[in-house]
Amino acid sequence: MDAPLALSRAIDTLNLRIGKSVAWLILVAVIVSTVNAIIRKLFNVSSNAWLELQWVLFGAVFLLCASWTLQVKEHIRIDIVNNLLPKRVQQWIDLIGHLLFLLPFCALMVYHSGPFFMRSYQVNEQSLSAGGLPQWPAKGLVIVGFFLLLLQGVSEVIKQIAIMRGKLDDDETLRGHAAAAEAEAQRLLDQARAEGLAP
Amino acid sequence: MIFARSVRAAALLLALTAAAFLSLHTGDAHAAGIGDFLRVNMAPVMFGALVLFLLLGYPVAFALAANGLFFAVVGIELGMFQENFLQALPERIYGTMNNDVLLAIPFFTFMGLVLERSGMAEDLLDTIGQLFGPIRGGLAYAVIFVGALLAATTGVVAASVISMGLISLPIMLRYGYDRRLASGVIAASGTLAQIIPPSLVLIVLADQLGRSVGDMYEGAFIPGLVLAGLYAGYVFLVTMVKPERAPGLPPEAQTLRDADGKTRRFSLLVVTIIAFGLAIAYMKYFTKVGGGADFVILTMSIAVAVSFVIALVNKFLGLNLLSRMTEQVVFVMVPPLALIFLVLGTIFIGVATPTEGGAMGAAGAILLAWAKKRMTFDLLRQATESTAKLSAFVLFILVGARVFSLTFYGVNGHVWVEHLLVGLPGGATGFLIVVNVMVFLLAFFLDFFELAFIVVPLLGPAAEKLGIDLIWFGVILGVNMQTSFMHPPFGFALFFLRSVAPKNAYKDKITGKMMEPVTTGQIYWGAVPFVVIQCIMVALVVLFPQMVMHYKSSGVQLDQQQINKQLDSISIPGLGGSGGLPGLDLNAPPTLNLQ
Repeated sequence: MDAPLALSRAIDTLNLRIGKSVAWLILVAVIVSTVNAIIRKLFNVSSNAWLELQWVLFGAVFLLCASWTLQVKEHIRIDIVNNLLPKRVQQWIDLIGHLLFLLPFCALMVYHSGPFFMRSYQVNEQSLSAGGLPQWPAKGLVIVGFFLLLLQGVSEVIKQIAIMRGKLDDDETLRGHAAAAEAEAQRLLDQARAEGLAP
Repeated sequence: MIFARSVRAAALLLALTAAAFLSLHTGDAHAAGIGDFLRVNMAPVMFGALVLFLLLGYPVAFALAANGLFFAVVGIELGMFQENFLQALPERIYGTMNNDVLLAIPFFTFMGLVLERSGMAEDLLDTIGQLFGPIRGGLAYAVIFVGALLAATTGVVAASVISMGLISLPIMLRYGYDRRLASGVIAASGTLAQIIPPSLVLIVLADQLGRSVGDMYEGAFIPGLVLAGLYAGYVFLVTMVKPERAPGLPPEAQTLRDADGKTRRFSLLVVTIIAFGLAIAYMKYFTKVGGGADFVILTMSIAVAVSFVIALVNKFLGLNLLSRMTEQVVFVMVPPLALIFLVLGTIFIGVATPTEGGAMGAAGAILLAWAKKRMTFDLLRQATESTAKLSAFVLFILVGARVFSLTFYGVNGHVWVEHLLVGLPGGATGFLIVVNVMVFLLAFFLDFFELAFIVVPLLGPAAEKLGIDLIWFGVILGVNMQTSFMHPPFGFALFFLRSVAPKNAYKDKITGKMMEPVTTGQIYWGAVPFVVIQCIMVALVVLFPQMVMHYKSSGVQLDQQQINKQLDSISIPGLGGSGGLPGLDLNAPPTLNLQ
């Protein structure tokens, strides 16, 4: 069990670091888009490269942060039925879901994205707009994103099996989207308390 | 082998799946029967399976994708698709990236997250609470007013509900408000963020229905304000019938006074009249904007700017014409109105696209937080991280939905759904009634993102075929989907309120009395009248389409598509690559050979 769990920890660390770093591109996108809009109005010039950079940045964020989001269990679920099931069944659903839903999807995407990227890379495919960015780096993000997600899927399978066999504690702080919202509320509450606004 | 048991179980499942496929493939009589059945009824079977997959409780994004892939493989086995059917997938994923409209989602989310910790909401609630407080139901009106104002600056429900739960709820409880009314009005005012632009719901709806976000904003603006009005109307009714449920603040609670103890509200009235008079005159004589959302936004912006100038002149010349309350009200109104102008104003007058508006709003929120000395590295980090994770799960639902739709449209599922919906008795009216009841019920257990990405693309084409304006349709759905935030027990507004409302008995720090906690039951029951009001609002939008349709007559707006078109017309096509502009039309059926 030790070797797979070590692998799982390594994957988790990798995806956490990538996720937290890539998240900053949101701020970059905000700045790029704001400056773009102002320059377009003031000087009536517009650059397709800068316009395209906005969505490439956004693409990088959502593709490369998806594995981290999976790790912290923040992909939305419909838990109305799931919540009523015994813990054991919930764990089986997660395990089977990882194996039959997530991993085949990621594997297939990585498999098909390879040729998709290579076709673009070999002809050094350019944007359809004048002065735009080359297209292949953005297409490359699809492979990288799904590869990281595939890795995270493997890590989740390892952790889920370890939890079900009692080798690993279930991290109850990761209870998904609702828990994340609760944490956000708690931060606001703490801030309000610090300022003496709340009891 | 430590994993042996689990691996065996998984292998068994895989084997069963494989066996199912093999039996489809081999031509024995029984399996051929299943095959024929599937060939004819693939769409309904697929839809049924989707419901099952989603209810399992595995993340929606991957359950959708898996469903699409599973039936794609079945289709290939049955000879309905060609072997290379799934090669189209990366192109479809790339199409979700290459989409400027959805870029507005992280911008508005980021803006909301920064704004909720900038202290703007707190200042507004304090001051407006003082302004309206003394009249019966005054605090409730203040919550609705501030809720609408916050809704027009951000598209995030959490922010306003949490602030109001922290600031206004304790005050309302202290002075004896009915707990259900207090929690209901807070949750409902928070959800106004979903219908008053710039809301995330409207962006996603516009994207999925293939309409411009600017038009959707323009169309939703008036219904949003009317809804806020209905909430206020309900509070008024309550104060008429049961005055003890929403008492006015006692004199000792009114702290915003001049040195001599007077509030001098008339000076605020005078400033308001002068400011709006000038603003309306300006709008009338110097612009061509006659009505609708643009008019409201611009007039308010000018009026606040004028009041701000008056207040500044008064302060620096020491004229002492304005009371403390007046000054404070004017000053707290400036930041939200500046943001509203920066975001909605620029979108409505056609200076910026919704995406640019979102980015400028986010930049404005950062500046505001910085000016109020709230901007820390920690805040910025949390905002970017939360935004990144939200973007990932939202966009992956879309990715999953596109994998699903590749197969679903491939087996003509959209035609099946369209036939079902167009064939409803009662034509367009029947369709609207059925769809609204359905969305209302689905909203009990689906999030609006799920509704928007899975259900709306199926409804859109049928609505269009019945001659229903898609902006109008989108606004109706938007109002309806608001209820998904208010449904016990999963409604997010209730959930946020629960997390900040007192769970245990506590000692009030002003009166020193022990206060009862707010029970979860009170929060749930408090939501009910407001859900009913939201349903009434859906009916009103259906009955009075002109509330929405004025979007057609209003000024020119800038859309990303238009910019792209302008740019395309001067562009030289690149080296081509794989086929045209990928994925601008999100729901276009893929072209494929049905054998």
